[in-house]
Amino acid sequence: MPAPGRHLTDVKRFLDPQAIKRIARLDLRARTVVEGFLSGLHHSPYFGQSVEFRQHRQYTYGDDLRYVDWKVWAKQDRYYVKQFEEDTNLRCTLLCDVSNSMRYGAGPLNKYEYACTIAACLAYLLLRQQDAVGCTAFDDAPRMLVPQRTKRNHLDAILQALDNCSPRNKTDLSQILRSAAENFPRRGLMVLISDLLVDREGLFQGLRLLRSRGHDLLVFHVMDDDELDFPFSGPTRFNDLETPEHLRCNPRALREGYLNALNAYLEEVRRGCTRHQVDYLLLRTRQPLDTALAAFLSHRLGRERG
Amino acid sequence: MPTFLHPLLLWGLAIVAAPVLIHLINLLRHRRVDWAAMEFLRVSRKKHRTWVLLKQWLLLLLRMLAIAAIVLIVARPLWKRQWGGLFGERKTHHIVLLDDSYSMSDRWADTSAFARAKRVVERIGAEAARQGQAEFTLLRFSRAAYSPLPLGEGPGVRAEFSEKSPSSSPHPNPLPKGEGVQPDFLREPADNGFREKLDAVLRKIDVSQSGAGPAETLVTLNEVLGQLEDRRRILYLISDFRTRQWNDPAEVKKLLGRWQAAGAEIHLVNCVDRARPNLTLASLAPETGIRAAGVGWFMGVAVTNNGAAPARNVTVFLEEDGRRRPSVQLAEIPSERTARTRFYATFSAPGWHRITARLESDAVEADNQWFFAFRLPSDLPVLLIDGDLRAPDARFLKWLFASEGLARTGLRPEIELPRILDRKPLAEYAAVNLANVDRLDTAAVQALENYVREGGGAAFFLGEPCETGFYNRQLYRNGRGLFPLPLRGPAELIVDRLEVAPDVQTGEHFLFRNFAKSRNNFLQSVNVQRYFASADGWEPPADGSVRVLARLRNGDPLIVEKRFGRGRVVAMLSSLAPTWNDWATNPGGAIVLLDLQGYLSQGRTRDVPRQVGSPLEVVLDPARYRPQVTFVVPRSPRSTKMTTIPVDAVASKGGKLSAVLPDAGRSGYYEAQLKEIGGGEETQLYAYNVDPAEGNLAVVDQPGLAQRLQGLNYRYAPAGLFQTNDRAVQGDRLWELILYLLIALLIGEQLLAWSASYHPRSVGQVGNLSHISPGGAP
Repeated sequence: MPAPGRHLTDVKRFLDPQAIKRIARLDLRARTVVEGFLSGLHHSPYFGQSVEFRQHRQYTYGDDLRYVDWKVWAKQDRYYVKQFEEDTNLRCTLLCDVSNSMRYGAGPLNKYEYACTIAACLAYLLLRQQDAVGCTAFDDAPRMLVPQRTKRNHLDAILQALDNCSPRNKTDLSQILRSAAENFPRRGLMVLISDLLVDREGLFQGLRLLRSRGHDLLVFHVMDDDELDFPFSGPTRFNDLETPEHLRCNPRALREGYLNALNAYLEEVRRGCTRHQVDYLLLRTRQPLDTALAAFLSHRLGRERG
Repeated sequence: MPTFLHPLLLWGLAIVAAPVLIHLINLLRHRRVDWAAMEFLRVSRKKHRTWVLLKQWLLLLLRMLAIAAIVLIVARPLWKRQWGGLFGERKTHHIVLLDDSYSMSDRWADTSAFARAKRVVERIGAEAARQGQAEFTLLRFSRAAYSPLPLGEGPGVRAEFSEKSPSSSPHPNPLPKGEGVQPDFLREPADNGFREKLDAVLRKIDVSQSGAGPAETLVTLNEVLGQLEDRRRILYLISDFRTRQWNDPAEVKKLLGRWQAAGAEIHLVNCVDRARPNLTLASLAPETGIRAAGVGWFMGVAVTNNGAAPARNVTVFLEEDGRRRPSVQLAEIPSERTARTRFYATFSAPGWHRITARLESDAVEADNQWFFAFRLPSDLPVLLIDGDLRAPDARFLKWLFASEGLARTGLRPEIELPRILDRKPLAEYAAVNLANVDRLDTAAVQALENYVREGGGAAFFLGEPCETGFYNRQLYRNGRGLFPLPLRGPAELIVDRLEVAPDVQTGEHFLFRNFAKSRNNFLQSVNVQRYFASADGWEPPADGSVRVLARLRNGDPLIVEKRFGRGRVVAMLSSLAPTWNDWATNPGGAIVLLDLQGYLSQGRTRDVPRQVGSPLEVVLDPARYRPQVTFVVPRSPRSTKMTTIPVDAVASKGGKLSAVLPDAGRSGYYEAQLKEIGGGEETQLYAYNVDPAEGNLAVVDQPGLAQRLQGLNYRYAPAGLFQTNDRAVQGDRLWELILYLLIALLIGEQLLAWSASYHPRSVGQVGNLSHISPGGAP
């Protein structure tokens, strides 16, 4: 059993200081209306205490007299109450793929570690702005479920959960997304971090379902450089990470076909995300996370303000 | 059919399997990669499987073909035009003239000119064999020169051979009747077994000791081949191009010009690169003098320095009858000069003897030895014709010549009367001395003239009885007779005796060589009182046939010599006995008289120089010998046993028998073993020597040759660089075609490898930030 201190250090390996430093000044805001439980940065579907007037409503019995607009009563001799916009906090769910295919990685980080780092950085950012963050690690079923909390020390729980999930099994993303939609009925932010090596139809069905429930969706598509560039040469036997299949070939001969198929796949995913109004970012595992994440968040923030 | 210059290299075709082996090894050594994105691989493989496999197999095939092509190029394949003849293509006739004169034995390092020449012949033969349907003729210079074929333009030797060669020649390489020259190959088809035949011939032949040149070989070749030949002819002249034969090659140029005019291609192949120094024994011959058993005489030996630098301390090793005797040395021989020296030879026993001279080994071996064989009589018979029995002249000579004294003279004098001159066979005598002969009848004069004309020597000593008119009319005959000069009559030598001067003044001549530059000249003390004066105003003719050897104090001739036919006549215009002079009592006079006999007998005892290549003819007296002669020829260096050749003698001129050995191809001693009818045997000895001029190794270089053969179209090549680069000689060079094919294969392989591989585009990269895809606002 590892010592507590050591365990903590291992857990925090997903917190990339460079990435944290770069994104700390940014906000992650929901682009759609979300249903939070605290006052926060995000629009709430409910009326509440804020400085932004929304509408008048005829007084009914039981309304708080403090909200009666006396100026209207003086003019029209009718009782109306003033209603204001409510700002709420964000409920974010990090869906992190820990299937066997995420184990691949030829660089310093494999896809699994890279995805966990993304999740950790986002969790840190959201908790810092008082938003609630939960996390679901999954493969063909949810492996670890961390409920949404706003406490600062909740980050440890998320990191602990991610660290405990070593990659295994296949991915069944449609089932996971459906499950997420059911488990998190209140509108919030769903962040999917995966290599998306799944059935595209199921992926898009899941995304569509989440969008229909009103969730704001972010997809971080994590791919290894080898998977994107396919630099292999010489006779090679490729063993499938998720099935017992293998394929023996001359990679250079298949490279063009591979890259064509890959590009078609990436284009299909990107188009699918666009169609369902899902923010999509393809990340290379050798790409510095801070740069990519900062650029992505700035880009998103810029569009939000525009 | 393709053939290969280096067929053994075809084993290299095994390398063709290398790409397959590499492929199999790579299959065994493949990497293993745990891979996530298998679906794209599967898609790619499914889509390209057939085409990729095809390209890979094609690539493998191309690489194997490329390796095979490289191996084939190295093996140098040729395509024989076997079917060319069906389409009117002319066959090629390769005619090789191989110089095997002994200068071709010029050796340096570990090779020789002849060895290089044989390699060139071998190369030509190999190319002809590869070409197929070619014909090959090989004629050596020596064969052309020694041929018994009667040729109109050929050298006299061959014509002589044709006349004298017996029909049943027991020559070791018997020539077919009427076939004439036998080249080593004559229009030999260069078929499959030809190379083996050529190799066998080339192994057998060696450089000859002939001095034959290209001109007679070309003449012989014309006779052998004729001019009408519907073939493409290539003439190769493989020689060492010595200055001796190519300095004035007008004849050769004319003959080669005929070949060129007949459409032949001419190749000149030089087998030597430069002239090397070489010493040549130029001669070994006895000096003039009496040669008889027990009498010593001088042998002269000459050595020529054919090098560019002077040769110093040249030793000539000598053998007498196979026994070594003290050598002689020449202190220095200047460049391109001949130096002479002499040594004293004495043989006590009469009969056949041999003297051999040798030089130390140098570039050419054949000219480092000289053989001399001679028959030594016990005495030389000398006839003394005494015209006045009362005078003591003849008796004095007999006393002088007789060998009963302390010193052997080697002479056997016989005193006879003048009338026996037409009755005795004068040919038996080495010299005839006529003292005080007043007159001779016509038959005697005729016999004497015939004797001298055939090489005999006669000496006249004139005394009181001699008739001036007879000598002028019968013996002088206005210069047509054997007597050297017309006479005026006896005369007194009227001089001032108080004046100290010799009566006899001698010039430079063999007879007076012992007194030349001598301080105590006995001849200066000879007194002459009376003599026969020459006709008034007589002077020796300008043609040099008559020379005055000694004159009197008053300028009148005293001793006069005349060359008559092959012989010589010496007339002393005073008495022999001390009646008109005191010559006989002077010691110097006796020496001169003895030398005179040797000088006169030279024509009868002259040795016939025999050169390698000339026939050896032995003339037999049918009354004494059986008509069979067995020749024992010198052994070649390769042979270990003696070669004997029996020859049947045939009738010859004058009722004699003649046995001819047609091919005296080696220098050395030839023995002719004769069988007497009475049962006895006699062995005669003949020495053959090489032509010393061939030992001059000066060569004509390529520019010099071009200058000399200006106007002649030929190709010149040193033997080392000679290539039968003619396409017709080699056949089609298939390897050139394969080279182009290889280039095409390599280009194809590169293109296929390029297409079978993946090459990223320079712009765009999968997975950069441009893949940020914004979702739209709801």
